[in-house]
Amino acid sequence: MDILFLLVPLAVVLAFLIGAAFWWSVSSGQFDDLDGPAHRIVADDDSPP
Amino acid sequence: MDAAVATPRAETVAAEAPSSCFHCGEPVPRGAPYVADVAGQSRRFCCAGCVAVARTIDGAGLSPFYAQRTASSARPEHDEPARVRQVEAALAAGLVHEVEPGTHEVSLLLDGLTCGACAWLVESWLGRQPGVTEASVNYATRRARVRWVGKANVLRDVLAAIDALGYHAFVYDPATRETLLRRQTRTLLLRMGVALLAMMQVMMLATPAYLGETIERDYQALLDGAALLLTLPVVLYCALPFYRGAWRSLRSGRPGMDVPVAIGIVGAFVASVWALATGRGHVYFDSVTMFVALLLVARYADSLAREKAAAAIEHVTRELPTLAVRLARYPAVDGGTNVPAHVLHAGDVVRVDPGAAVPVDGLVLAGDSVVEEALLTGEAMPLRKVAGATVLAGSVNRGNPLVVRATATGGATTLATLSRLVERAAVARPPGVALADRAASWFVTGLIGVAIAAGLFWMLHDPSRALAIVFAVLVVSCPCALSLATPAAMAFATGSLGRHGIVAARGNALETLARVTHVVLDKTGTLTRGTPRLVHTQIYRDRTHDDVLALAAALEAGMAHPLAAALREAARDLPVHVAQGVEVMHGDGVTGTIDGVRYRLGRPTWACPRSTGDAPAAADTDHGTVVLLADERGPLARFVLDDAVRDDAAALVRALARNGIAVSLVSGDRAATAQRVARAVGIADVHGDARPADKCTFVRALQAEGAVVAMVGDGINDAPALAQADVSIAFGDASALARWSADMVVPGHDLGRVDSAFVLARRTRRVIRQNLAWALGYNAIAIPLAVSGLVSPLVAAVGMSVSSLLVVANALRLARFRRAA
Repeated sequence: MDILFLLVPLAVVLAFLIGAAFWWSVSSGQFDDLDGPAHRIVADDDSPP
Repeated sequence: MDAAVATPRAETVAAEAPSSCFHCGEPVPRGAPYVADVAGQSRRFCCAGCVAVARTIDGAGLSPFYAQRTASSARPEHDEPARVRQVEAALAAGLVHEVEPGTHEVSLLLDGLTCGACAWLVESWLGRQPGVTEASVNYATRRARVRWVGKANVLRDVLAAIDALGYHAFVYDPATRETLLRRQTRTLLLRMGVALLAMMQVMMLATPAYLGETIERDYQALLDGAALLLTLPVVLYCALPFYRGAWRSLRSGRPGMDVPVAIGIVGAFVASVWALATGRGHVYFDSVTMFVALLLVARYADSLAREKAAAAIEHVTRELPTLAVRLARYPAVDGGTNVPAHVLHAGDVVRVDPGAAVPVDGLVLAGDSVVEEALLTGEAMPLRKVAGATVLAGSVNRGNPLVVRATATGGATTLATLSRLVERAAVARPPGVALADRAASWFVTGLIGVAIAAGLFWMLHDPSRALAIVFAVLVVSCPCALSLATPAAMAFATGSLGRHGIVAARGNALETLARVTHVVLDKTGTLTRGTPRLVHTQIYRDRTHDDVLALAAALEAGMAHPLAAALREAARDLPVHVAQGVEVMHGDGVTGTIDGVRYRLGRPTWACPRSTGDAPAAADTDHGTVVLLADERGPLARFVLDDAVRDDAAALVRALARNGIAVSLVSGDRAATAQRVARAVGIADVHGDARPADKCTFVRALQAEGAVVAMVGDGINDAPALAQADVSIAFGDASALARWSADMVVPGHDLGRVDSAFVLARRTRRVIRQNLAWALGYNAIAIPLAVSGLVSPLVAAVGMSVSSLLVVANALRLARFRRAA
């Protein structure tokens, strides 16, 4: 069970990393529009003028 | 939580019945010749505008739009002069930014976006316009940013391109509250995300405690220490808004809901740290994180709904400076110069072009036109203005150019005075204290009293346990259910309102609406349609009803006058005639030739001067405006047009009365007209000839008698009263000022929605009361147990979660609100 002394701190570090990643994605505007991009990807124009 | 509102209707519109327009979904008139091929298939349309839009879309290879969209598009409207004016105003105001030499950028607000596919369509289309280097459309906020290489006035082509798709764009200044709002939303999202992440992690670490396992001291300390680390960001960052709210409400002397929340968070956190440090007592990190996370979720859902509401009522007209054409050398002939309206002084001479708003209060020097003052005076019919007449800033010129000498400008105009009245009334309105905040005040006082008493008691009997028990009291009473009771109910109710087409602009509008005892209704535009409608047709000679109507509609084709629009509307489904040689006699009527016969349509005395006996000479009766159709031989038909009472007005009044709410009608119109409408819908208390200030005074007088007043109106003249009322609803095509003064906006022409708002408000209040009762009841049981030292951490955690979930589940019932048929 000593492995817990490694795994639990690791989990905490991981959680903080995920938190940092979330902070980055929010502040770079990735959550500003949750509906538009869905259409942008599906209906990409494949017939240029 | 808000998903039901955020997601557009998920049905494909392409598969609609063949009799509806492929583009906008409106019914296709009988025999309409509008057919076009889209993606190789023949489709039917309702008007030439829709055909043009569909051809544009298809021609650019963007037809996948029709397969992707989830809601019908808006019917296109083209207004070239308005576009030109907008471009000039935007350039004058410096809203087109030169980001680098030769490259310009502008921010646009888009009207008519109905689903995510629209955003894609506009973006792709703009990207193909010559010169455009970058175009991005944000569907959530209806905003677009366009950047192009070339001169600033390329903006005209950009706006034209958007119009060609059937959307409408307004230039706006992005450096306003917009950016502020975005930053707030982002911060809130970040706080919520961090709290949710921490909650999941901490709960995982707390699992052994939930399972009742006793584990070795070292391991327990390891788990608790990790939980402490994860809880730190929650307590120090995520919960900041609650501390701030608590501090603000304490300083203002009215402890609100944030106070017990802050005490709960800090209390539980300190108790846990203390327990961890001394090895005695329990840790409550899981409770703290869950509490903060749930509260933030409710707050985020609420903010999303609010943001949507703000976007829905946005009217750019107020953000754009009004532009005026100054004639500096009048009466010498002069093309005029464009200047922003705020630099004008009394005495300046300006030209008001057709379709433009009058920028000043003033005296007409030259010109003969009709001016619509509906927004200011509530008068639906445009008034004729010739030299010597006075015009008011904010009214709209519906005819020919007018030359006006300014008598009052800027802050001195009638419009500005009204705006000031609104501000004053908004400050003076009785403060609505939310139910939950009142409950919170008692709760805080009681809680602190109990905690101190328990502390003192245990200090005397068993000092070693005193601190642990004080903390336990604070934690168990942790007002999770209490503080969620209102936000959860409000978030779901706001979502329901949205689905019924009602926009709740201000937070506690619903709560106040449920307490309303008196409703004050405006007449023009609220109980009536606000635009004239054909109410009666009298035929003089051997013609059918449809026949004369079709002739009248042909003569009035393309006229902007509301009476013309009413006649065209009445003749919508009739075969189309074409009139030749149409001449407009301002203030009198129109003449034109149809199938070789010369017709006149207009004021009876003008259209048929010879008629004496059978055709009435009076232009207006008490029941509206009379228009006469005549040919060379004499009168053919007489049309009576009036501002008709809405079909559902009487039903609304009945529904309000059934719930014991008194109803009054206050109108700026003549008393006799107001009386007639009131009789038609069943209102006994009528006040006519009311100026905006009178309406406001009337509302204040009712409030002084103890009534909780709801005001329903639409015009600028209602705005002061809307701001003064305890809760206000801007209805229909409400003016910008009315929308901004109102707590709720009900767009469209369905008065039944106003009733829905009342029903939902009462239901919401019931749910909030149930929630509060439950939360207080739970505390009434849990706190004595905590005081007597009988609460284990497991019981505390489970009790708190269950009570919170019950509150949320109860509030969820509001999300399923359906309007009774």
